[in-house]
Amino acid sequence: MEIAVLVKPVPDAETRLRPDPAGKGLDPEGVKWVLAGYDESAVEQALLLKESAPGTTVRAISYGPAVRADEVLRAAIALGCDRATSVEAPAGVADDPLVTAAALHLALSRFPASLVLCGKQTGDHESGLVGPAVAELLAVPEYGVAVNVRLDAGGAEMTLQQSVEGGLLRLRAKLPALVALQQAWNDPRTAKLPNILKSRKAPIDRVPAADVAAAVAARLPLATRRLAFRLPPPRTGAKMIEYKTPEEAAQKLVRILREKAKVFP
Amino acid sequence: MTGAVVWLERTSTGVAGASREAVGVARSIAGGGPVVGLLVGAGGPSAAERIPVDRLLLVDAPGLADASSAQLAALLAAAAAASGADSMVLAGTARGRDVVGRLAVRWGAAAATNVTDLVAGGSGELHVTRPVFGGRASETLELPGPRRILAPRPHAFAEPPPASAAPPSEALVLPDGFSALPGRGMEGFEPTVGSKGPELGEASIVVSGGRGLRTPESFHLVEELAESLGAAVGASRAVTDAGWRPSSYQVGQTGRAVSPQLYIAVGISGAIQHIVGMVSSRVIVAINSDAQAPIFKVADYGIVGDLFPILPALTAEIRRQRGLTGSAPG
Repeated sequence: MEIAVLVKPVPDAETRLRPDPAGKGLDPEGVKWVLAGYDESAVEQALLLKESAPGTTVRAISYGPAVRADEVLRAAIALGCDRATSVEAPAGVADDPLVTAAALHLALSRFPASLVLCGKQTGDHESGLVGPAVAELLAVPEYGVAVNVRLDAGGAEMTLQQSVEGGLLRLRAKLPALVALQQAWNDPRTAKLPNILKSRKAPIDRVPAADVAAAVAARLPLATRRLAFRLPPPRTGAKMIEYKTPEEAAQKLVRILREKAKVFP
Repeated sequence: MTGAVVWLERTSTGVAGASREAVGVARSIAGGGPVVGLLVGAGGPSAAERIPVDRLLLVDAPGLADASSAQLAALLAAAAAASGADSMVLAGTARGRDVVGRLAVRWGAAAATNVTDLVAGGSGELHVTRPVFGGRASETLELPGPRRILAPRPHAFAEPPPASAAPPSEALVLPDGFSALPGRGMEGFEPTVGSKGPELGEASIVVSGGRGLRTPESFHLVEELAESLGAAVGASRAVTDAGWRPSSYQVGQTGRAVSPQLYIAVGISGAIQHIVGMVSSRVIVAINSDAQAPIFKVADYGIVGDLFPILPALTAEIRRQRGLTGSAPG
């Protein structure tokens, strides 16, 4: 069976975020693009399923500027994915989750999979829209905030859990389907050095920018336009409460919460 | 912009607070047109009787209490067609956001989630602001019309005052092909063990404990403080990694991101991975024995000192101020 895992290049967590000169986006200067967070959990889930069902192939698919996409695809290969597809973003195309979904849908029509995995959101724009939108385009059900996906014998069905408000929902679902995974529940593996070196030479399939441009054209009039990207004003640090006894500290804090911050219930 | 449809997400106690906030957002982008609530699941309109919508559309079907996102997207599109609305608002809950992604495709609309602020201009333009990078930055987006879907971030917008009278309601006719849509395939539900009080992501107050509590036995001090405030309980990664509390309590980059009105960090030093999960809270209070702890850089108010006498004193003061006596509040 074929599993596809959608991965997005995001700035390394250590990146010092900075607006670009126009103030309309992240300044990409000096940013290290990595496979991170939710996507690591999705890749880990794909690899666990592959290990549990012999004959399963895992294909990582990434949409973005080719240089960045290739970087995270090689990281996915180093972790154990079998194949990779780079979906090349046309120059200057709108950065919108629904446009991204249309581009990924094109890739999935060329490299079909019975199970599509992704993170429930990415650590940059955090829209959480790409997975469900891809599922709608593929006309398959989607299962969000998922953990613990297991394939049943034959790979026609799966069981999974959804981590929702107040607990875990247990579900049984048919394939094909799309599953958007929760982050950091499965302790993602790290790549071994020989595999990292080997991944540098691994072949990457490509969906050319011109094909992507045609596939997303219908969606572009609906794309959101970023007018501003800013950093929050620096926090000036806490106002410290002076006190002599614990009781005095408590009374002062409650008074502040009630009268100044107005958040006392 | 004229008219908006709001999905009124049900909880065990009625309509989710985040959905009531969504009604207020719908009013501000409806351009004077009607705000229509969609209520799906078993039971009549009583769950929504004080919700300030102009009209309620009902899908009274017990089997749809746990509808799939595909089913909800189809029902919302039908509700928009029935009411002529060109905007939709869904609470930014886990379920709500899944529906938005499908709906944006099915209904052909621009969409934005995690919205914390918006400006609806007089000539129909709509600009929204949303935090990105875990609250380390924010962006302002323009949503082209005519169709738009917004998912406001829970607690980012005020709940509108309740209506004085119940809105008129009618049944929504199921759209063609509805019965062919897959359901959710739910087999069972395992409640989070030991969780009391409101849910982390929904709570308007969160009290989190960290390694400063020293032992799992002293974590009850955090829980008692939370209980006195009617708050949800969270924890730092150090606490969940050590197994003092399950991972579902974890607030941070690798756990839950929360944005309550009030966040109280107790004995949490403030590693960046924790900060990104709570920094967009409205008011942050830190209580820590180390005056140099990085948590005080993001907090609004700080108390430096020994947690062990301060926490019971604070819990007692809050109980006294709220008129709570010895037993737990209802």
